[in-house]
Amino acid sequence: MEILLQLVYSGIALGMIYAVIAFGYQLTFQTSDTLNFGQGDALMLGAMVGLTLVNQGVNYWVMLPLVIIFGMLQGAVVERIGVQPAIKIKSEFGWIMSTIALGIIFKNVAENVWGRDDLKFPSPLPEAPMQFLGANVLPMEVLVVVGAVLMMLGVEFFNRKTIYGKAVVATFNDRDAAKLMGINTGLVITFSYALSSATAGFAGALIAPLTLTGATMGSVLGLKAFAVAIIGGLTSGLGIIVGGIILGIAETTTGFYISTGYKDVPGLVLLLMVLALKPAGLFGKTAIKKV
Amino acid sequence: MLSIKNLEAGYGKVQVLHGISMEVPKGKVVTLIGSNGAGKTTTMRAISGMISPTAGEISLNGKRTDGMESFTIAKLGLAHSPEGRRVFATMSVTDNLTLGAFPRLTGSRPKGDVQGDLERAMELFPRLKERRNQLAGTLSGGEQQMLAMARAVMLNPEIVLLDEPSMGLAPILVEEVFRIIADLKSRGVTMLLVEQFAAAALKVADYGYVLENGRISVHGNAAQLQNDPAVKAAYLGGGH
Amino acid sequence: MLSLVVFLALLAAAPLYTSNPYYIHMIGTIMIYAILLFGLDIVVGYTGQVSLGHAGLFGVGSYTAGVMFMKLGAPLWLIIPASVCVTAAFGALLALPALRVTGPYLAMVTLAFGTIIQILINEMTFLTEGPLGIKVPKPDLFGAKLTEHEFYWLVLALMALSLVVVDRILRSQLGRAFEALRGSPVASDCMGVSVYRYKVYAFVISAGFAGLSGCLYAYSEQYISPNTYNFELTVLFLLAVIMGGRKTRSGAMLGAAIIVILPKLLDDLEMFRQVSSVLAVLMLVGAIVAIAKKITTPRAMAIPVVGTLALAAFSFWLQSITDWRLSIFGLMILFVVYYLQDGIVGFFRKLTSRKTSRGEAYHAPSDAKDAITVAASASGKEVGGELLIAKSVLMQFGGLKALNDVDLRIQRGTIHGLIGPNGSGKSTMMNVLTGIYVPTAGSIEFCGRSVVERSSADIALSGIARTFQNVQLFGEMTALQNVQVGLHHTFNSNLLDVALNTPRYQREDESAIARGMGLLNFVGLADLAGEEARNLPYGKQRLLEIARALALDPQLLLLDEPAAGLTAPDIKELIAIIRKIRDHGITVILIEHHMDVVMSVCDAVSVLDFGQKIAEGKPAEVQANEKVIEAYLGAPAV
Repeated sequence: MEILLQLVYSGIALGMIYAVIAFGYQLTFQTSDTLNFGQGDALMLGAMVGLTLVNQGVNYWVMLPLVIIFGMLQGAVVERIGVQPAIKIKSEFGWIMSTIALGIIFKNVAENVWGRDDLKFPSPLPEAPMQFLGANVLPMEVLVVVGAVLMMLGVEFFNRKTIYGKAVVATFNDRDAAKLMGINTGLVITFSYALSSATAGFAGALIAPLTLTGATMGSVLGLKAFAVAIIGGLTSGLGIIVGGIILGIAETTTGFYISTGYKDVPGLVLLLMVLALKPAGLFGKTAIKKV
Repeated sequence: MLSIKNLEAGYGKVQVLHGISMEVPKGKVVTLIGSNGAGKTTTMRAISGMISPTAGEISLNGKRTDGMESFTIAKLGLAHSPEGRRVFATMSVTDNLTLGAFPRLTGSRPKGDVQGDLERAMELFPRLKERRNQLAGTLSGGEQQMLAMARAVMLNPEIVLLDEPSMGLAPILVEEVFRIIADLKSRGVTMLLVEQFAAAALKVADYGYVLENGRISVHGNAAQLQNDPAVKAAYLGGGH
Repeated sequence: MLSLVVFLALLAAAPLYTSNPYYIHMIGTIMIYAILLFGLDIVVGYTGQVSLGHAGLFGVGSYTAGVMFMKLGAPLWLIIPASVCVTAAFGALLALPALRVTGPYLAMVTLAFGTIIQILINEMTFLTEGPLGIKVPKPDLFGAKLTEHEFYWLVLALMALSLVVVDRILRSQLGRAFEALRGSPVASDCMGVSVYRYKVYAFVISAGFAGLSGCLYAYSEQYISPNTYNFELTVLFLLAVIMGGRKTRSGAMLGAAIIVILPKLLDDLEMFRQVSSVLAVLMLVGAIVAIAKKITTPRAMAIPVVGTLALAAFSFWLQSITDWRLSIFGLMILFVVYYLQDGIVGFFRKLTSRKTSRGEAYHAPSDAKDAITVAASASGKEVGGELLIAKSVLMQFGGLKALNDVDLRIQRGTIHGLIGPNGSGKSTMMNVLTGIYVPTAGSIEFCGRSVVERSSADIALSGIARTFQNVQLFGEMTALQNVQVGLHHTFNSNLLDVALNTPRYQREDESAIARGMGLLNFVGLADLAGEEARNLPYGKQRLLEIARALALDPQLLLLDEPAAGLTAPDIKELIAIIRKIRDHGITVILIEHHMDVVMSVCDAVSVLDFGQKIAEGKPAEVQANEKVIEAYLGAPAV
């Protein structure tokens, strides 16, 4: 029982990371019907840049906002180079392939800059596990959950309370009408990509102390986050948290009770099942297409 | 204030407007009437920048605006309440109205008293006041139309483009809409009004243009056009 | 055609020309990849879907072969079909859920699949030997083990066969369906070609080819391990399809050659430096020439020129090229996606401005009949009687009632007009009748069957055809091909018939061409049969839509503002055609704003306003009706 609870805690922490990445997918998909297939690599870059800063002596808590800024720049670059031209020529194939291409390039650059080995990220919190409801929980895991929730709440607050956030939601609702309000929807899309990469990078810096940090850490995470985004629904905010937790726990339990090799399988199975039964996701709404 | 010369526009292979010219003087209400397919909405879209004209000139207060992006034109003070309502469905009525004032809140236009204007808009459209926190997508067709109009006025614009404000409204609401238009007129708001309901439009307007198959067939003082048989013909087909 | 035969002959002769097994093996690999790419092109090039898991499918093919050999000692003639079928089954498993909704879901699912397959192959050591891999010697055929050369010829034969089969598929009604669903999904569904079903077919077919390819690859390499089937390979496959040129077989073969040779090129730094320098110079010269000839502007050429120069400079700075291989791939992808959308083959075709010959010249059949047949055996078909009964239809979007308690009864054999001001609900009614919207409430019966909750494709096949307010033709297909999509329902031939070119298929194909020409003749477009639909003048496009709709053998034809944007002479022609359609026994519902059209051609007219029916009757009655006048002009004296 204690082990199961521990698995649940780890699963929740893991799931929150998936949720944050999936959140990034939602941000861009809602405003532009596109998403960044290299999102996992944005997470990796956040972790690597964070590691470099921390190794230079920068305090972990100071590093976090710096990584966020870096992420925003990286996201803007991805949007300008990869997505904007594809939106102009209305090619789905275009942005899928170019975000993949950029992801590949980022990963390759990271391999060359930081090497191909996995590195240890010094943990800002004590590494000794705490007791919670009779099972072990790492302080870092708690930080991950808290950080992820704060990040998502922060963006929600931005969307609901500030005029710029409302402009983003307006763009998602009706791009043409938003333009009539004087909103530069092109900038909105760039901004949503910047924000999306920033959340991914932030997630990377959060999870790095818990796992091995290396150039390949992002790809699989980005993939799992796909599953979460689909399970939760590409248009619903709450769904991805639930979806993330479900997937996280499914993975940790599979990994323990069946085999570590198979722990990546529940993601795909859940993904296929959700698409087969409720394509809009557990919480999503099916949109009516107007002809 | 708004000047259009030899405007041509269309969608892809289909040319809808074949060279129309119009003037909207400051403080006046001008109406553009015509049957469906004549090109009224295309004209509005070309003016507000939703589509780019293929030829011709559009000037707002002397400044050329043809070919500009719609968000740039909005910042110059042109508000467009588009055909089909186009409200922001997942946002509240209040948020929709606030977004109408986006350029004022972000420095592109003089700020003025946004909160006060919000309250005044609610007074002008009592139905919206009752539903201020309701999601715009759950409003009825008529209420959405009102919201779109009120949202346009929130810009504190130089000129308001109203594209078929009566569309989808029950007769009682249509009366209300035209009463509001008359009220705005009395405050000196310049308006370009596109309408299917020729009679009511001509009653409230100062000047009218009749659009037929992408060309201006008749224009003149609204009062004169009201009794013109050519206007009726333009709608119901010749002979009746 | 001749060039293809010559090319294949040259390939066949290759082993006789060079005895170096390295090159034989390399060409063999190119051909094996080409088989996969033929299939991938169907998905990516024709239906426009993105698959990020073809390396995984390739792996399934290889491992099916490997496992069957190792565990069962199965012979070649059993292994090949098994690989194809197993991989196709996996393809179905992926495609069936992923393609139900439009969006990047197939890409996401196949990406996940590719990763999972690698993991599973690694983990299921009891089946696959995991990371150790499986040794697969050359297969036995007719009792003797194949030599390198003999295996090479086997691969060549299978590639040629694949090429022929894929080509036949794409020229058939299946290929048209694939192109149609990309051109206009809505129109495709409404012509009875279910978008979902054909997207799945396309993916499953491509999976089959991937399986064949994987199987041959296992024998070719004589050793398979999980590492090969990774994401990098999938990316290379996609790069091959787009760089070579989509929608062409030669593009696929060229692409295969590129991705086989490229990694070898990128291992040799010296060679890379030379090639990139040459490339930069070529690009610079080409750009100067193109700008001088006014084909393009300096601005458009800035990025490619600077890019290739920077790449050349970068190559001289590099110490080792292998580390940067992936970045080079990434840059190539970016370049191809934005600057070389039709691939190399497409680029050269455009340059030599060979008009993509979209088919042979057609001539109208000698008896130039109108070729309209009404789904004759509609049981109990009386003249008169009600064909369509809609009761209390309610269509609500959020708080908006687009149709509010509408009743509509259409008499068989009549032309029924549906008019009303903008926003009154006419187009919504059309969409409800053709299954694009599901009504919130109410019932709709057509020929005694309910229409509600059935798919658009199903409704189309049961006898309701339509045209669209905004023309929804399959732009890149010819006029005749557009009509042939409407004739899709006349084909009973399946994949095997098409692949083997059976007499049944040939008959159906010829008859479709003849009927298609007849329908084009009916609307007066016979001499434009070979023109691409998007090049036709607007008025003719509208007529083509009508011809295509008639191909469904409908009992009810819905025309959505057919006269919009037409000139006066075109309108006259349209009215004549509508009358002819009615004379053939087809019932018509006509949405129109041109009052003259409505008045002159309709037997009955219904008027909608604010989603409700406000008047109904003969045209003259309706035109004089006070409520109608008020709806259009507004209250006369307020």
